[in-house]
Amino acid sequence: MKLIALMKKEFHRFFHDPRLIVTMLLPGILLYVIYSIMGTAMYAEKEPQAYKVYVGGSSAAVSVIETAIAATGDTVEWLPLEDEEAARAEVERGEAAAVLLFSENFDEFPQDSSVRIVYNGAEEKSSNFYAIAGAALESYGMRFSVIPESVKSDEEIGRTLFAGFLPFLIVTLIFSTCMGVTIESVAGEKERGTLSTILATSAPRFQIALGKVIPLSCIASIGAASSFLGVALSMPKLMGVSLGAFGGYPVWSYLLIFLLILSLVPLIVASITTVSTLSRSVKEASAYTSVIMILFMLLSIVSAFVPTMGDWVVCIPILNAVGAMGSLFAGQIPVWQSLVSVGLNFVYSALLVLLMTKFLSSERVMFGK
Amino acid sequence: MQEIVRAEGLRKTFTLSKKQQRIEKTGETRKIAVDGLSFSAYRGEIYGLLGPNGAGKTTTLRMLSTLIRPDAGDAVIAGHSVVKEPDKVRDKIGFMTSELKLEKFFTPDYLFDFFGAMHGVPKEKLAARKRELFSRFGIDRFRGVRVGDLSTGMLQKVSLVVAIVHDPAVVIFDEPTNGLDVLTAKVVTDFLLELKAMGKSILLSTHIFSLVEKLCDRVGVIIDGRLIAEGTLQELCGEMQLEDKFFEIYRAVKGEIV
Repeated sequence: MKLIALMKKEFHRFFHDPRLIVTMLLPGILLYVIYSIMGTAMYAEKEPQAYKVYVGGSSAAVSVIETAIAATGDTVEWLPLEDEEAARAEVERGEAAAVLLFSENFDEFPQDSSVRIVYNGAEEKSSNFYAIAGAALESYGMRFSVIPESVKSDEEIGRTLFAGFLPFLIVTLIFSTCMGVTIESVAGEKERGTLSTILATSAPRFQIALGKVIPLSCIASIGAASSFLGVALSMPKLMGVSLGAFGGYPVWSYLLIFLLILSLVPLIVASITTVSTLSRSVKEASAYTSVIMILFMLLSIVSAFVPTMGDWVVCIPILNAVGAMGSLFAGQIPVWQSLVSVGLNFVYSALLVLLMTKFLSSERVMFGK
Repeated sequence: MQEIVRAEGLRKTFTLSKKQQRIEKTGETRKIAVDGLSFSAYRGEIYGLLGPNGAGKTTTLRMLSTLIRPDAGDAVIAGHSVVKEPDKVRDKIGFMTSELKLEKFFTPDYLFDFFGAMHGVPKEKLAARKRELFSRFGIDRFRGVRVGDLSTGMLQKVSLVVAIVHDPAVVIFDEPTNGLDVLTAKVVTDFLLELKAMGKSILLSTHIFSLVEKLCDRVGVIIDGRLIAEGTLQELCGEMQLEDKFFEIYRAVKGEIV
């Protein structure tokens, strides 16, 4: 009865304050809008392109490339290469699409024949030319090598990193959602002296801890669900596929991602409530929570840079869920990894509730000056 | 007279931080706040702990209300030990102090029900008690107003009523009129007399002589964490004023006043 009253109080506090509800739902809506805009911009109908390309050496392959480009509705202007450095600089500035460097007697296909393509991976136009020219050269003959050389980082790297950022973004959004309600509910109550009033009653400390973590997790789950929907609904636009094609993803993937998100919420809420209990004020709790947030962000971004980690990763909170989510986003279905991560995250949350109970029972923590 | 509170050898020490050591001008790392305090309070009486700031009054009341644990000694309140049965003690006492606040977002109506549930009061009993207390203290008209929007006097009344929602046998009140304006202070003193009339036992701490003279049946003088003198006002002061008697005791213990 006491636990139910404690939980109802938290729900009452939240659902009778429209500002809190708005801040909870906002991340998901923002996520949907931002991703949709990004996706629409990335895959918008493109205008016909006119490529300016410098050519060093000579080959009939040039006309093959020109035919391929014409098939896409684009045009190309071939310029003889006089100053390679100046041409490379133009490519780097985005003024020219590429520099083609054919080896001597290229069309006779000697042993070491090659064509070097200097392009700018950071420029959409230059990348498009490289993609078309590369494909056209492959159809031209087999006995030469194509040496791509990007003057900037490869766009592919950027895309891989971006895909790795999705779980990171989700963790960050969940953390922000949890932080808003949790710090106020625990450190705020402690600072205002209202938590002491509850401690002066006969309600057991464990129930007081649970009476915070359970309702706050439920409330934060609404925010998490909002973020999840934001990601799920904007993904088709972001990836440039139709909603129908995206719907072809296995239901399991969605279910596991949702479970992973749900397991992260109590873990993050319990972490913040525990440090908030330890803090003397909202300000102090915010400072401690920022440190935890950085730690969690580091854990959630590690998998983007280190894609192949061992099975031991499932034991590390946050990293386990992020790793599993990363695999799910990549189209795999790591069932056991996801389920063990979910289970362990709930165990870690329970341990944090016990730690919070200990803090609530400590007169030094609760009433120390 | 039936003993309702019995404190025996209560002792509490605190660790001093470097900053506190500088303020207190001491090299000691621990400070004795309460030093073997023993006293008894009886059913239906108002017992006052009188002493200067820093004497250990608040620490004593916090130990009795189980917010902090004594280093040594124990106290039995309405048959339960504060050391061994703190949960049971909390259901037998109502603790009022400026340290404990009510969430401004909620209404008196909601808070009364919430704290009733925290003390495990059955719903029917809680409803009847709410009717009685809200009516007696004029809270009825404000029951749906958020606590943050109440006047100071009404807020104080709500705090008092919420503290006794579970009909405790003992009411512990730390510095009841500290920081209150004259009107709100009167609300509090009238409330305490009303509680006494209802048969409750009240334990309060104060450094205000007039409050002791107006309210207390018995008083214990506490200096440096020790109970120096105790008795009814008549027993303690004889023909002297309480203020004069207190300073006489204080000089005998500490020497000079400043």
